[in-house]
Amino acid sequence: MTSLNITSTNSKLMDAVRTVVVPVAVVFAVLGIALTSSGYVVTLIGFAAIYGVFCTGLNFFMGYTGQASFGQNAFAALGGYGSAVLTANYYWDPVLALLVSMVLSGVIAAAVGYPTLRLRGHYLAMATFALGLITYEISIEWNSLTQGYMGLSGIPPLGMGKYELVNEKHQLIVLTLVMLLGVWVSVRLRDSRFGRALRAIAGSEAAANALGINVARYKLAAFVVAAVYASVAGSLFAHFVGFISPEVFGASMVILSFTMLYLGGVGTTWGPIIGALIVSLLPEVLRGLKEMQDVVYSVVLIAILIFAPRGLSGLTVLFQRKQTGPDV
Amino acid sequence: MTVLSVKDVTVRFGGLIANDAISFDVSEGMLAAVIGPNGAGKTTLFNVISGAMEPTSGTVYFNGELITGLPQYEVSQKGLVRTYQLVQLFKDLSVRANIMTGFHRVTKGGVLAALLRPRWFMEQEARIASRTEELLDFVGLRAVADMEADKLPYGQQRLLEVARALAAEPSLLLLDEPAAGLNIQETAALADVIERVNRQGVAVVLVEHDMQLVMQIAQKIVVIDFGRKIAEGSPAQIKAHPEVIAAYLGGTEGLDD
Amino acid sequence: MIDLTQILQSLVNGVGVGLIYGLVGIGFCVIYNASGIVNFAQGVFVMLGGMVCHTLLTRLGMPLIVAAILSVPVVAGIGMIIEICVVRPMWNRGAALFAIILATIATQIMIERITILTLGDQPRTFQEFTLGGPLKIANIAISYQLFWILGCGALMVLLLFLFFTKTKAGRALRACSQNREAAALLGIPVHHMLLLSFALSAGLGAVAGILVTPTQYTAFNVGTPFGVNGFIAAIIGGFGSAGGALAGGVLLGVAQAAAIVVFGAGFKNVAALSMLLVVLLVFPQGIFSAFKGGGKGH
Repeated sequence: MTSLNITSTNSKLMDAVRTVVVPVAVVFAVLGIALTSSGYVVTLIGFAAIYGVFCTGLNFFMGYTGQASFGQNAFAALGGYGSAVLTANYYWDPVLALLVSMVLSGVIAAAVGYPTLRLRGHYLAMATFALGLITYEISIEWNSLTQGYMGLSGIPPLGMGKYELVNEKHQLIVLTLVMLLGVWVSVRLRDSRFGRALRAIAGSEAAANALGINVARYKLAAFVVAAVYASVAGSLFAHFVGFISPEVFGASMVILSFTMLYLGGVGTTWGPIIGALIVSLLPEVLRGLKEMQDVVYSVVLIAILIFAPRGLSGLTVLFQRKQTGPDV
Repeated sequence: MTVLSVKDVTVRFGGLIANDAISFDVSEGMLAAVIGPNGAGKTTLFNVISGAMEPTSGTVYFNGELITGLPQYEVSQKGLVRTYQLVQLFKDLSVRANIMTGFHRVTKGGVLAALLRPRWFMEQEARIASRTEELLDFVGLRAVADMEADKLPYGQQRLLEVARALAAEPSLLLLDEPAAGLNIQETAALADVIERVNRQGVAVVLVEHDMQLVMQIAQKIVVIDFGRKIAEGSPAQIKAHPEVIAAYLGGTEGLDD
Repeated sequence: MIDLTQILQSLVNGVGVGLIYGLVGIGFCVIYNASGIVNFAQGVFVMLGGMVCHTLLTRLGMPLIVAAILSVPVVAGIGMIIEICVVRPMWNRGAALFAIILATIATQIMIERITILTLGDQPRTFQEFTLGGPLKIANIAISYQLFWILGCGALMVLLLFLFFTKTKAGRALRACSQNREAAALLGIPVHHMLLLSFALSAGLGAVAGILVTPTQYTAFNVGTPFGVNGFIAAIIGGFGSAGGALAGGVLLGVAQAAAIVVFGAGFKNVAALSMLLVVLLVFPQGIFSAFKGGGKGH
């Protein structure tokens, strides 16, 4: 038995290295490269981090519960506009505004999700897609609050109290840390009674019911979690760029985020991050195809959906502890 | 103590009567079986008992509490766990992970606990882990604990399902045709596990077609035909019951196979 | 002050656009009933109908009627290409339903972008089918195009009815929608049915697009609102019969028109989306599903 113990301790260590140390090291390496590069690269990596947060939330809902939501961008809009209006027009502290927007998004997600999540299949898909369309419309129509098409500018950068992060590179560091925090939170939630209940629902709603899991309540909880992530991403975007408009949180956000999620691997820990990074860097790779970018994104997404429906898990299996691992 | 009391349960689908005033009791620690020809209404009865469906009329009492009309998860939370005819495993999870989801009902903690990991939470996780190992040994799946549930042979998937149900510490276990699709060895292993479960004090009700299994392990048998209960008694009584024999005549299953 | 004429006028307009929604909605139903797939790229066929027709008109100088009639099979062909290249491979690999839905959304965006690149992003239009002023009945203007829409809409429904009841292919498609496995067992080539349903839907969408372009305009992005509204029409109708989808479309068009009059032009889409959510949550079977004739949905 002793040999068995040594092996399992070793394998636990190997697991930790594989699933935590290496990915985090990679993240910091990328951060380091970005910090020593031009402002353009900083912006790109910043977008990757923001979308990383968004996709981690999306992954939580879709990957761990097996439900489809095509409307998370609605909550990003809520977060973005919430932060923007509170900080630009009412001079709130950015961190406070972010937290308040989070809570607001969570409450609205709970209210909206309650009836919506009773739907299934394409009805659920369309209803959630409609959510995104509705916030898009509202952000255009509610001129007095959102300035409509023109968008809101003059959003102060991230800061707290007297500190303001004027330097983009400092902002990038904070964004990266927030992203890592988001991943940490999602792993904590996943490896717990809460996470197990969610994955039971993804596996078989009938069996989950038979084991005493209140399926409707847990689906809603996961939806709210994803909405809160989206809201944070939206707020971060507002502060990072200093300007938002309805287009930012429109349908292209849906397509981009899904492409990232599928590319990186649905239901994996670091998949959303990897996907966000790759897709954010694609414009660089596809520089020459400027106008064709959206076409290429769509083609890439379609190709992945056809040939590798669970994402390029070949990439992420190097980094992630499989869901079937030891202390799942 | 009566664990389960089914009183006059009737289920009508339009003009079709699936269950017709069925009544029977299951006492604590009993191993009972519900048998009957195909289409007799057994799974419908299970659906009513487990809360997946509401009966047109009639009541079901579980440990003295009225449970008819409650949503299924609430019934399960009271300790009545059922399995399904087609194994409903969590395919992408490992064997171990499947069992761990079973503890939901006897544990607590939501989002906050998951994030903050207070001491009681960590102790609970440790208890879940060790209990899972016990259950793995109980059904003999220790060797494949880390395998994806999907990859198991069907007989072992069944055992996994039982182990997962046991994690919920049920006082009543409803097994819907657990032996369906199993070969002789697998059925024997299943019978052994069911008997051991029952000996630990868990009441079990089986719906089954496999007569040999039923006759071997059941203490009480309820026979249903065309939605009506036509007999109730010990295996010996049922074997000799004229109506039961008549119901099975013409079918390919004999009672003495 | 909202006066009666304004209301009636907007109702008339609403019926016109509602019929267009209905045609698009029928397209949704056809594909859904044959396969269970909701083709979120449906709206793009509407856009392509108008764009292709316009291109044939201006670049190749064809007369309007010829251009219109030719555009339909062209767009139907594009629908078939989508089925073959995107949907079929996923279908064959047993992809999850929402993965297919996502793929159709991506396809819509891709086609929109390609349209911008090849035909430019300027809105364009062409003339009404029958030139001449609108018909005026007591201060309410009914444009001739509306009659064309009414007429073609009725014609489409009639043709569809004949197709589904009298032709072998149509009956096979209906069988497929009722029970795919049984249909396959009877030797009906289910894959061909899927292809046929896409061609049919695309054609319907194209007809809708061609009919509606003279009343507004066509551009690379008109697809999405028509797709969304067409889907809402189909949902209101219960995804069952063509009649239901048409009725749903008209109801939606009228509701939108009313919303514009009462709340202002910006609320057109909010009205439509709110209606969608209400129907989804309150009438999951669709408001008109009670009137379903043949062609049971899933």
